[in-house]
Amino acid sequence: MSTTTIDDIEYVVHSLAQTAVEKEKEFGDLDAVVGDGDLGYSLARGFEKVLADWDSFKRDDAATFLQQIALAISSRIGGTSGPLWGTAFLRASAAAKTTETIDGAAVVAMLRGATDGIKKRGNADLGDKTLLDALIPATDELERQLAAGASPEDCRSAFAAKVRECADATSSMQAKRGRASYSGERSIGSPDAGAVAVAVIIERIVADWP
Amino acid sequence: MKKFVNDPQQFVPEMLEGLALANPDTLKYVPEYNLIMRADGPDESKVSIIQGSGSGHEPAHVMIVGKGMLDAACPGDVFAAPPFDYVYETTKLMASPKGVLLLVNNYTGDKMVFEMAEEMSSADGIEVKTLFINDDVSVEDSTYTIGRRGVAGNFFVIKAVAAASERGADLNEIIRIGEKVNSVTRTMGVALTACTPPAKGSPLFELGEDEIEMGVGIHGEPGRRRAKMMPANEIVEEMLGPVVRDLPFKEGDRVALMINGLGGTPISELYLLYGQAHKRLAEQGISVGRSYVGEYCTSLDMAGASITLVRLDDEIESLLMDPAEIPIRVF
Repeated sequence: MSTTTIDDIEYVVHSLAQTAVEKEKEFGDLDAVVGDGDLGYSLARGFEKVLADWDSFKRDDAATFLQQIALAISSRIGGTSGPLWGTAFLRASAAAKTTETIDGAAVVAMLRGATDGIKKRGNADLGDKTLLDALIPATDELERQLAAGASPEDCRSAFAAKVRECADATSSMQAKRGRASYSGERSIGSPDAGAVAVAVIIERIVADWP
Repeated sequence: MKKFVNDPQQFVPEMLEGLALANPDTLKYVPEYNLIMRADGPDESKVSIIQGSGSGHEPAHVMIVGKGMLDAACPGDVFAAPPFDYVYETTKLMASPKGVLLLVNNYTGDKMVFEMAEEMSSADGIEVKTLFINDDVSVEDSTYTIGRRGVAGNFFVIKAVAAASERGADLNEIIRIGEKVNSVTRTMGVALTACTPPAKGSPLFELGEDEIEMGVGIHGEPGRRRAKMMPANEIVEEMLGPVVRDLPFKEGDRVALMINGLGGTPISELYLLYGQAHKRLAEQGISVGRSYVGEYCTSLDMAGASITLVRLDDEIESLLMDPAEIPIRVF
């Protein structure tokens, strides 16, 4: 994978934000199956704020930019989504701080930072039927592709395909964290809303890559 | 619902505005972040002690800001954790070279928001630590919590760490004291009625005229069992048992005993409960060294009470006896 610039990071965040705002109803409906139905609303309000404040974010480097995004999201998103998504961006920012150039390895480190942050903040792990069940295996896949010397395009498509595959596979799992866990066995048979939302967002980012 | 409310959305800001207008010499109100802080704060010679949580538990936490108690409090809406940026901005505004301690009752939303505020403020170079309070023995988990809930016992943690801070203790020492007080504090509550949040306009849960909720949480979350109404001495017995057994408090222990009203119970009934509890403890060889009767951590207008015991030692007792000046005092 070639070196990523701040432009690429801005593109990823902007595309993520736009998707979250546009898919508000779809994400809300997914969450309403067993959750409390506020995922779409929460993400849309948080990322609306990101888009509204877009020009004001400091862009000295990737770390600074991502920290500002973390603050914007979590100051607006209520419930548990705000702290979880805010922490993800905060940890990605911390990972970006440790490297001069944002290359493939740095992207993996940022994703690992984000997922570790979500794990810790949400007291969740693989197998609990959360977005981690999509994002962690996809990060593993990205790391494998990089090690095998795949092209940037191939790395991105493999990442997106794995996120989708794993998000769909959460259907067979029983929720152990979050509001959906109160539904117990009734949570089996529908995918985790957060995992599907992440898959939809990443597919869009990869499909429209400039 | 009959309440003194204008716009339910403005219930908390209007309460804070009134609090600030009534205490112009001691309190400062920052409306952007619902922040109530000491007018002379932050005091750079001491660790800043901050607590935030949902509103509806008054006097906790905004009405116990003052010398010897909290340096600042940032409440959320009624029974809702404050937004992350309120806590973050409060931490920045209250930053002291000696550090900041964030005190949090153990509820899922509050836990996430405060941990994140700690992380973000630390990244800004502020020395900040978070301490979770979990004194409720009623239920291990509820839909609102990760582990035990933090309830009225939070008063003792606040009082002790704030006193230590006024004496000049450093952040590590203050955390040691806070953890110690939390570890010897146990509480259980009972509800005789539900409570009515202004924005909801109807009771938060259903409780029959002849029913009580034993072990209720401070937002009306379910406790360990729903029971038929019974005489006060039987209620005290059923509440005190689990509290005493949990630590456990033993013969020869010296304790602080608190009877905390949940917002809708007259003080006459609280003193009646106090007398019953005091005598039952004496029968078990447990002596009361400090007594607290009144409203410390309420649940809006819920009729009910909680019993808190703290095992005293010389250090804790001495910190509890230090002076404090807070607006809730009426003289």
